[in-house]
Amino acid sequence: MKKLTYTGLLAGLIAGASMLFAHSSMAQECEDLVLGSAISLTGKYATNGVHAQNGYEFAVKKIAQAGGVKVGDKCYNFKVVYYDDESKGDRAATLVERLVNQDKVQYMLGPYSSGMTKAIAPVTEKYQIPMVEAEGASRSLFNQGYKYLFAVLSTSEQYLASAIALAAEKAQASGSTPSSVKVAIAVENDPFSLDIRAGVLEDAEKFGMQIVIDEQLPRDLSDMSAILTKVKLLKPDVLVVSGHSKGAATAVRQIGEQNIDVPMIAITHCEAADVVGNFGAAANDFLCSTQWAESLTYEDPIFGSASNYEKEFKSAYPEYAQKKVPYQTAQASAAVYVFKDAFERAGTLDKQAIRNALSATDLATFYGQIKFSEAGNNIAKPMVLRQIQDGVYNVVAPSNFASHALNWPRKP
Amino acid sequence: MNTKNIIFYVALLVLTAIAPFLFPDFRTQLATLWLMIVVAMTWDMTGGQMGYNSLGNILFYGTGMYVAAVISIGMVHDVGAYTDAGRLELMTFTERQYFVGAIVGIIGAGLFCSVTAIVVGYVTFGLRGPYFAIGTLGVAIAAGELVSNWGWIGGGQGISLPVYPGNFDVGKLFFYYLFAGTGVVLFMFLKWLYSTRFGAAINAIRDDEEKAEAMGIHTMRYKLTTWAMAAFFVGIVGGISGFQLIHFEPLETAYQTTNLGIFMVVCVLLGGKGTLWGPVIGAILFHFIKEVTWNYFLGWQWVALGALIVVTVVYFQDGVMGWLAHRKPQSPRL
Repeated sequence: MKKLTYTGLLAGLIAGASMLFAHSSMAQECEDLVLGSAISLTGKYATNGVHAQNGYEFAVKKIAQAGGVKVGDKCYNFKVVYYDDESKGDRAATLVERLVNQDKVQYMLGPYSSGMTKAIAPVTEKYQIPMVEAEGASRSLFNQGYKYLFAVLSTSEQYLASAIALAAEKAQASGSTPSSVKVAIAVENDPFSLDIRAGVLEDAEKFGMQIVIDEQLPRDLSDMSAILTKVKLLKPDVLVVSGHSKGAATAVRQIGEQNIDVPMIAITHCEAADVVGNFGAAANDFLCSTQWAESLTYEDPIFGSASNYEKEFKSAYPEYAQKKVPYQTAQASAAVYVFKDAFERAGTLDKQAIRNALSATDLATFYGQIKFSEAGNNIAKPMVLRQIQDGVYNVVAPSNFASHALNWPRKP
Repeated sequence: MNTKNIIFYVALLVLTAIAPFLFPDFRTQLATLWLMIVVAMTWDMTGGQMGYNSLGNILFYGTGMYVAAVISIGMVHDVGAYTDAGRLELMTFTERQYFVGAIVGIIGAGLFCSVTAIVVGYVTFGLRGPYFAIGTLGVAIAAGELVSNWGWIGGGQGISLPVYPGNFDVGKLFFYYLFAGTGVVLFMFLKWLYSTRFGAAINAIRDDEEKAEAMGIHTMRYKLTTWAMAAFFVGIVGGISGFQLIHFEPLETAYQTTNLGIFMVVCVLLGGKGTLWGPVIGAILFHFIKEVTWNYFLGWQWVALGALIVVTVVYFQDGVMGWLAHRKPQSPRL
């Protein structure tokens, strides 16, 4: 009896030890693979900085759950080191120096906004640190000849191109010509929005439209009533507003307050600013450009389909339960996934090899196809345009993705 | 200068020369330290020595940055096309174009800022005390807004200069020595200047401007000359910063009134106004405190900075140098 107990104890001990061993060997198997990121957690880009950070963290977790990153015969888990760039470019550049020199980071995830990315890209370029960024869309990032910069998102000039095309279409349908369309533009004075403006100007010129207002929003973006008064007087057919989340919130709020009656209003960052949740009916019939929509049919083995991504993300981050998961979050997750893919294809941690693997990326993701041009921007994924119809975001353009017809003219 | 002093200065020079090799990971921070020393010393020229507290010296930093960049781009490409938001083609610089552009641009920036100081000074030096401080601050803020709405030089999106060609470690040394060289030249220049009649004249303006005027000092001429000299050096470090940062935008990087524009004043207050060494010591202390708080007390850094300013202003109005002089009144002034 006594002997049996001893045997039992011994067996138990062995079993326990082997379980411990198995556990520790599993933990040993996956080492940390450190990525760095300077991101706006305070300052004017804080809302979207947090959206992006959540996207990064969600992807890190999902990839770890799916078995980590296999490089050769070793396994790694991503770990991201963050610093708050305070939404200031020179601060962001200094932090990248710190990440590279003091934290010895070899691979970077991007910051939020084109402006911050513009400040950081030369630094990562100097250090030859591959950076996959998800939040810098301005074309001015991709005409500098940078070799280590890769962006998963579509460039800014595409954001509102379909809105201008739709306006031309509607003008024709209602018996007038596209060249009679009057366009009003109000954008923030920053690299992203200035590129939006450049894109709209190019498209408007193609149709011979008239630009009746071309103004820059004040810097704090909490008041655009002066510009809206001008809109009331000049009665444009299309109003384009771009100014990140703050600009979107201000536009929707004041357009509602001042009863601005324009047949078509197109803005950016609707989801990130949660304009439906914050302003309700005032946001109806706004056109919102988006990099990604959960209703699209993209999918991949890690995140599943686009709608699955949204579902799982919402359960991981309950604060998003009542609103749309913004595309800023989705593309941040996609950036981490691009890194995983590049590491696995490169089969080494050598940053030069990773850079080359990144440039050869051709990856289907829940966020859309990702394939980089020579300049580093993603050329495989289209932008979509959604309209807020009775509080619901419905895709209205381009036509091959459209699920709903456009509400036009918009009712104030 | 006695032997002891000579040994002291030579040792400092050697330290300056070898510092980037002693701390290779901190080359950029060391370069920034020299930038702080230069802007603090130049601020003290008017603020400490002449009694005109400018809050707008950042004007010359931003202007220097833009002038240097525009000159260096303009020597090779069409500036308007280079800064166009929708530009698709690549616009590159050869190594020679980069260096010639940088040097010409930086010197041009210094000269341009001197002229700017004379023009702006002609108007603002009619103001005294807090009015002068607010007046110059206004000019700096207005300049930032003007630049951010000027499309030809990139407007709100700023300018991206080319990345340093060639080995980047050498590049870091290049920028360190540019900043350090400017700092050393400025220090020697001021050491000489403050020992001349000119130095005595601007001190007289500080102590009692009416009396100085009555004694036959042409105060306006002295004030303008002093500010123009200060602006020259600020313009130069602004130009260097532009090439070091590579990308900069008008409101938060170039005309950063609330950051560097205030930091330079804090440095001088910390070190001691109206002394040769005060701004240098203040800049070193401030830069050290700033790096530590920004790295280890992230989230509290602005609180720490505010506390530092309050403590300095309330308890150490004369700064480190003033405190030293009070403790050891007999010791020779460095």
